[in-house]
Amino acid sequence: MEGFEKLIIEILKNWLLIHKNEIYYIIETLLKIILFYGGIMNLAGLLTIGERKISALMQDRIGPNRANIWKFTLWGLFHPLADGIKMIMKEDFIPKKASKIMFTIAPIISMIPVLIVFAFIPFGDHLELGFYKIKFVIIETDLSFFLLVAISSLAIYGTFLGGFSSANNWAILGAIRAQAQMISYEVIVVLSVLPVIMIFQSSTLSEIVIKQKEMIAGFIPKWGIFLQPLSFIIFFAAVLAENKRTPFDVVEGESEIIGYFIEYGSMRFAAFMFAEYVEIILFSMLITIFFLGGWNFPFLYDNGFIIGSISIPLNHYIIVLIQLLSFAIKTVLISVIVIMIRWTLPRFRFDQIMKLAWQYLMPLSLLNLLITALIIRGIR
Amino acid sequence: MIRTKKIESKPLNIFEKVYIFEILRGFSVTLKHFFRNLFFPSKIPTISYPEEKVPVLGNARYKSRHRIKLRKDGSPKCVACMMCSTICPAKCIYIEAAETDNYVEKYPKVFNIDISKCVMCGLCVEACPEDAIAMDTGEFVGGAYDRFENYKKNGLFLTKNELFIELKNDHISKVGAANRLANKYLEEKND
Repeated sequence: MEGFEKLIIEILKNWLLIHKNEIYYIIETLLKIILFYGGIMNLAGLLTIGERKISALMQDRIGPNRANIWKFTLWGLFHPLADGIKMIMKEDFIPKKASKIMFTIAPIISMIPVLIVFAFIPFGDHLELGFYKIKFVIIETDLSFFLLVAISSLAIYGTFLGGFSSANNWAILGAIRAQAQMISYEVIVVLSVLPVIMIFQSSTLSEIVIKQKEMIAGFIPKWGIFLQPLSFIIFFAAVLAENKRTPFDVVEGESEIIGYFIEYGSMRFAAFMFAEYVEIILFSMLITIFFLGGWNFPFLYDNGFIIGSISIPLNHYIIVLIQLLSFAIKTVLISVIVIMIRWTLPRFRFDQIMKLAWQYLMPLSLLNLLITALIIRGIR
Repeated sequence: MIRTKKIESKPLNIFEKVYIFEILRGFSVTLKHFFRNLFFPSKIPTISYPEEKVPVLGNARYKSRHRIKLRKDGSPKCVACMMCSTICPAKCIYIEAAETDNYVEKYPKVFNIDISKCVMCGLCVEACPEDAIAMDTGEFVGGAYDRFENYKKNGLFLTKNELFIELKNDHISKVGAANRLANKYLEEKND
């Protein structure tokens, strides 16, 4: 019997030694998923309270500040928690005429593609732990940009399945608007990023970020926003429209048709809402990666700061920390700007939205693409 | 005849058509408010009501918290006739009557008003034959989180201590009736 146990232990030891790299890889990936997705979920929760607080301050109000735990309100930070509890406790209602299967899976469909896409996003450079090198991206492929576009465009199915299945005229109206708007702006999202991809000659997101590390003329960072300002503006507008946020929110139109989720309540509604906030974070990260240098910090290289002839060497861990923080801060800043846009601008009419897409943004992005191609060809 | 008024809208200039500059101009407005309210929260005109109360403006005669007027000797004017508790639509007044020493009139041994039920209709004031109950304190009770358990702590349950009070400059109500002539008559009689 003892021999048998020893044999099993021996086999296990050998198996572990052979598959050492795979096990390290699994642990590393799991850790990254937990940390990155945990951060995103918490940030999305914070954005809900952030939106309410920022809008309140802009309109001379105080904003939510009453939810408390043992009389600690923390400036209203417990409100997302209270909202969540409220949503769970509410009645789970399905209209009698609604198609039950579609009605049930629509919020899930709108949520999952948005969450999957985060796997392609590089949120930092690499961390060297002695012999082991961790890259701060969950899935790294050459096709990451195209996969990202392909998967994230699936989110539209959730929107119009929800609208069509709930047997409500307003919901169908909202879903029709959503279809037209999201499909037209998706074209522009891709077209406006193509010049950036052409300049950095890569469709891998982490490589695009690495190529933005250098400086132009010694003091301007070689970020997408300085190389392609027009592309940045078009991408920002298109991505706002694809997320159905103000000023492009006729799909929802709080004051007229409530939109595709009019029949939804409780956690199903919360899933739609949460997907919207997660999408804000997603495209803030995309804008950060394509146009704001990703995890790059100006003048920060692999060994520390180098400003002209001055160089300040830094520890590797501190550099990694600065890069991660830089990415997080840029993302949060863009998210806040998106929220500010909602509370500053009036809503476009639907015909204006379509006109903007097909008559202005589309030709402009094509023109931008052409000019960029010509210039790149000329330089070569 | 149909009158028409022609409204001419200004044509947009190039900066307004591009719209980006207008967006920035809009940001300057909202950001001004945002930062002002962020760094000087005291400039936000909101009043956090239950914790923070402002006095009633001017001499406005709002219906406010009830009180029972007192006579010169400090005894309540109320004779416990139950008119107010009878007419009260919300049934929030509770009175227990008792006899006074002079065997002529009654007085309220217990006088409770549950403000959490009161609808502030003022019918008790109209009904009172002695002009004893009044809604002129200028205080507004309410705004508690819990109606059923903590309402005694929150001042939503008025007893004799809170109700039998004198107001400042209360020379009229100290004598008998609200009618000016009747007051004069009573004052002469007291002297």
